[in-house]
Amino acid sequence: MGFLFDGLDAEGYDRKYRDRELVRRILNYFRPQASKIITAALMITATALIEALIPIFIAYSIDEIQTATSLNQVAVLAGALALIACLAWIFNLIRQTMSVKAIGEVVLAMRRDAVNAVLVRDLSFYDQFPSGKIVSRVNSDTAAFAQVMTLTMDLLSRLLLVFVLVGYLASVSWSLTLILLGLAPLIIGAALAFRAIARRVITASRRVNAEVSNHIQETVSGIGVAKTFRQEQAIYADFLDVNQKSRRVNLQTRYTFSSIFPLLNLLAAVGTALLVYLGGQAVYAGELTTGTWFLFIQGLQNFWFPLTSIASFWSQFQLGLAAGERVFALIDAEPRVVQLNRIDPGRLRGEIVFEQVDFAYKPGEPVLRQFNLHIKAGERVALVGHTGSGKSSIAKLIARFYEFQGGQIRIDGYDIRHLDLNAYRSQLGMVTQTPFLFDGTVRENIRYGRPDADDDAVLAAAHRVGHGDWLATLPHGLDTPVGERGSGLSMGQRQLVALARVLLQDPAILILDEATASIDPLTEVLIQEGLDEAMHGRTAIIIAHRLSTVQEVDRIIVLRHGTILEQGSHHQLLAAGTHYAELYNTYFRHQSLEYIEAAGRK
Amino acid sequence: MQRSEFSITSAYTYDRRSVARWLLSHVGRYWPFALGFYLCFITAWAAYSGAQAVIGRAADVLSGPPDYAALTALTLGVLALMVTDSFSALIGSLSAETVAARVEADIRQEFYESLLAKSKAFHDRQRAGDLMARATDDTNLVANMIVPGTTLISETVLGIVVPLTFIFFTEPRLMFIPLLFVVGYILTAHRYLRRLMPVIQRQREQYGLMNAGLEETISGIEVVKASAREALERSKYLRNAQRFRDLFIEQGRIEARYLPLLLFGIALGAQFFHALWLYSIGEIGLGQVVAVIGLMNVLRFPTFISLFAFSVFQAGLAGARRILSIINAETDLDENPNGYSAPLRGEITFEHVSFSFAAHPGESPHQVLHDISFHIPAGQTVAIVGQTGSGKSALTQLVNRTYDATSGRVLIDGVDVRDWNLDALRSQIGKIEQDIFLFSRTIAENIAFGAPGATQVEIEAAARAAQAHEFISRMPDGYQTVIGERGVTLSGGQRQRIALARAFLAHPRILILDDSTSAIDSATEDEIQRAIRQAQQGRTVLLITHRLAQIRWADQILVLDRGRLVASGKHEELLRTSPHYRRIFARYEHAVPETGVVRATEGAA
Repeated sequence: MGFLFDGLDAEGYDRKYRDRELVRRILNYFRPQASKIITAALMITATALIEALIPIFIAYSIDEIQTATSLNQVAVLAGALALIACLAWIFNLIRQTMSVKAIGEVVLAMRRDAVNAVLVRDLSFYDQFPSGKIVSRVNSDTAAFAQVMTLTMDLLSRLLLVFVLVGYLASVSWSLTLILLGLAPLIIGAALAFRAIARRVITASRRVNAEVSNHIQETVSGIGVAKTFRQEQAIYADFLDVNQKSRRVNLQTRYTFSSIFPLLNLLAAVGTALLVYLGGQAVYAGELTTGTWFLFIQGLQNFWFPLTSIASFWSQFQLGLAAGERVFALIDAEPRVVQLNRIDPGRLRGEIVFEQVDFAYKPGEPVLRQFNLHIKAGERVALVGHTGSGKSSIAKLIARFYEFQGGQIRIDGYDIRHLDLNAYRSQLGMVTQTPFLFDGTVRENIRYGRPDADDDAVLAAAHRVGHGDWLATLPHGLDTPVGERGSGLSMGQRQLVALARVLLQDPAILILDEATASIDPLTEVLIQEGLDEAMHGRTAIIIAHRLSTVQEVDRIIVLRHGTILEQGSHHQLLAAGTHYAELYNTYFRHQSLEYIEAAGRK
Repeated sequence: MQRSEFSITSAYTYDRRSVARWLLSHVGRYWPFALGFYLCFITAWAAYSGAQAVIGRAADVLSGPPDYAALTALTLGVLALMVTDSFSALIGSLSAETVAARVEADIRQEFYESLLAKSKAFHDRQRAGDLMARATDDTNLVANMIVPGTTLISETVLGIVVPLTFIFFTEPRLMFIPLLFVVGYILTAHRYLRRLMPVIQRQREQYGLMNAGLEETISGIEVVKASAREALERSKYLRNAQRFRDLFIEQGRIEARYLPLLLFGIALGAQFFHALWLYSIGEIGLGQVVAVIGLMNVLRFPTFISLFAFSVFQAGLAGARRILSIINAETDLDENPNGYSAPLRGEITFEHVSFSFAAHPGESPHQVLHDISFHIPAGQTVAIVGQTGSGKSALTQLVNRTYDATSGRVLIDGVDVRDWNLDALRSQIGKIEQDIFLFSRTIAENIAFGAPGATQVEIEAAARAAQAHEFISRMPDGYQTVIGERGVTLSGGQRQRIALARAFLAHPRILILDDSTSAIDSATEDEIQRAIRQAQQGRTVLLITHRLAQIRWADQILVLDRGRLVASGKHEELLRTSPHYRRIFARYEHAVPETGVVRATEGAA
């Protein structure tokens, strides 16, 4: 009977779909499970037929024993009843086992397809959808779909039972069946009306509850501050208000939801009384036996719950289809990065050429226009510029994370669109501002880019970063668990791990998007040493935030609005006093020793 | 007696000796409602079962000669009983819901009061998110444990006992099979739950793993793609999804084998046989047969519903346990109300201080600080330098008595912190945490949080000193801007300056500043520098900072390495004596344009 409440919270998710296409897709997934589905369908029918038999059989027996009363006959009747019950149980068991197997396989297949689809998407896709939404499509939407399929099977078997029973009752007495059927619209109407009310209450209470929940969160989080300033009394008063409000809202919701079944039962009371009296009349008139009279009364109860379920079923079913559609949409989306060939370039030297490259994340908002850049093999290049100047985009295009719209990018003379992405990217190393670590140990994370590396190689790579000093600050050295997304390590430590990971990978091209924030000066020194080591002997492209790195590179490229303004060494550009000097004053000045020394004199 | 930092005089006292007593004492506050629920539901079930008995009487009347008066009376009887059933159930439900909603609010209030009473140390150790979950989700679980948990369990019991009583009064011998069924039901349902629960639990965990794994892959997609490891991630996910499918099917199989339902079918057949047999030998009438079969059908409801009720009840119990464990947690430090209390000058001395700390209760303590001694005269600014995990924060936490030293002494103005009155000590020590918490109130209220009587003039003066006045004035509603509303978000640097203003208004004599951010651009850096310089006027300041300029110009620098104080002194001195410290500045020696300043530093190094 919980059906009545299902799906109330998620309803109103409006989405249009082409029914035929959707059904075809769903059927495709169910086709491999055809034998299970057919068995389940047969069992549903069998269960419905046989369960309908139970009350009918009781009614028949009641009539029968009024005339013939041999013990043998009684035993046969009762034995048959028990047998019917057992059969119904067994049929149901087979039905449920089959359908759960079929649905389990279908969901697995959908999840497999969805994940395959997700993993071949380029980064523009990930920019568009937050990770939580993608995960929810792959896992929750498929689960919701499965739930609705299960629900459909359950409900089908019950509805079938109702039809069989009503069919039989109609064959016994049309007039009494009409009374029973006459109740149906009342029940469904009441259930629908209730759902409308409940939805309003839920919407209101969800809004208030979110607010209340935020307040509680704030007052709970605020305790620490309140204690520092000895202001406990003040936030306690706030809390009491919020708590009272929460109580009122909850009470309202609870009252609404607990009223419905007693009220629906009132209808059942009226129906039962009608059947008792009118059925009794029919018995006296000789149109009905006492047994069938009892059957009608029992039938009313069998009738009840499936009908309240129908009220909520349709919207549930739509939700399930919509969930299915979201999954299909995910599977069908076209990736934008398309490789034209799969050339394995062998060991790269690391020469990168941009020729007349046009690039935009969104149509009409170009980031790079007719962009030209030649980075020699083994050169260290820093890209500097304000936010939006295109420096990160260049790095991402080199990594082939995005498709560009015009021109050509060549790596060692190969068109980047013709390379085998796996072979190419395995020679590409990236360290980002907030390096991402996978849950596991430091060792596993360092090994991520080269799974076949042995422990010695991992240790050697770790030692090449800041002479391995940082390992001593980890409680269990290389076997320290990094926690979810590396949360067990400080940001500085995460960068050190990421640097070691790249060193082990030994890429031909290194892309560094270095960080500034939240690193203590001692760790920063280690990172700097790690960077020096990592850049050695390969092409390095650095999106620089740190003065010390900028000063080290072979060439600084100053970007603005997707074009190169000037290039040269730190001293050359600073002496020229143009755009770079302005950038320097905005972003790098406070990192200079001059600034540090001057701070005490103000 | 529990140590407490905050107490409410009017608080209702609950029995906290065990979870059961605690829950009972909560529900006990509303005993008339609870009693009302039981009275109503006993009435409801009696009326419903009575209706079956009356239907049985009607069957008797129908099998005799036509008696319309009797039929009418019995019909009205059925109607009256079923209407009584509905109304009693309605009133009973509302009573129970009242208890649930009130207890939920009461528990949350009790929980909150207990949080206020806990020490600062306790709160520093607890994650806010965890407390939040207990205050909302767990209290909700407890409310659901009352309705529908307890109410449905009560209904299960009533739904078995009441029909059985009616059967007893109809024909005592017909009790035999239903009783056997109840025993069988209890045994098989218990076994069923024992098999099902672990599978559901594992399935839930597996779903979590599957979600977390995919979430991780997607969050790290740049690394995955850059390392060309898509295939590995794909097979990792598929393994998880397959395991989930197996558990999903396993659960379905167990549910399909729900034995109580089979037992019910067999019991129905057996009862039918028994009733018919008694009828055939003339011991009972047809009406009794019909009544008994009707009553047997009433038993179907508890067969289904008790399982759901049981799981809700268990979840609620677990929630209650989590809440009570926090309420009953001992707070570590006491207020020491009779301790030393005086205006603080700001002199800090550590004498051979060691400190061990267990990050989680039950873990073996880990030594964070080793034998640390230093002296800070009042009014000095001291920078604490060291890698993450070197004990910088722990050191400051000993100063305001968030924790107590394991051995050695921490002295403020020459008095051991343990001999200070806690309130006197803390109210004169300000601390700005790394994670700055601001309330969703106006900026003015946030600044005045520690000094509720402050005037607008005082608030603005504090904001000016903290270099916050300018950006606050540029906001649409100035000081009346509500933080967090209509997309008002503040940068880390802005939050920090508001926190500084808040601290200024409270006039602490010692200020601890845990400032581990660094500005992206030089202009912001300038402002923060100025704000911190203001903070240093006339007070002792302990700085945990990444700003080299702050470290460079501190009166004293403490260099920590893995919990040991490896060097202390002024910048020039440390450049000469400490290899650790020299490393920080080493890269500047050759990298900066030739100026007089650089030459001076090189000479020093």
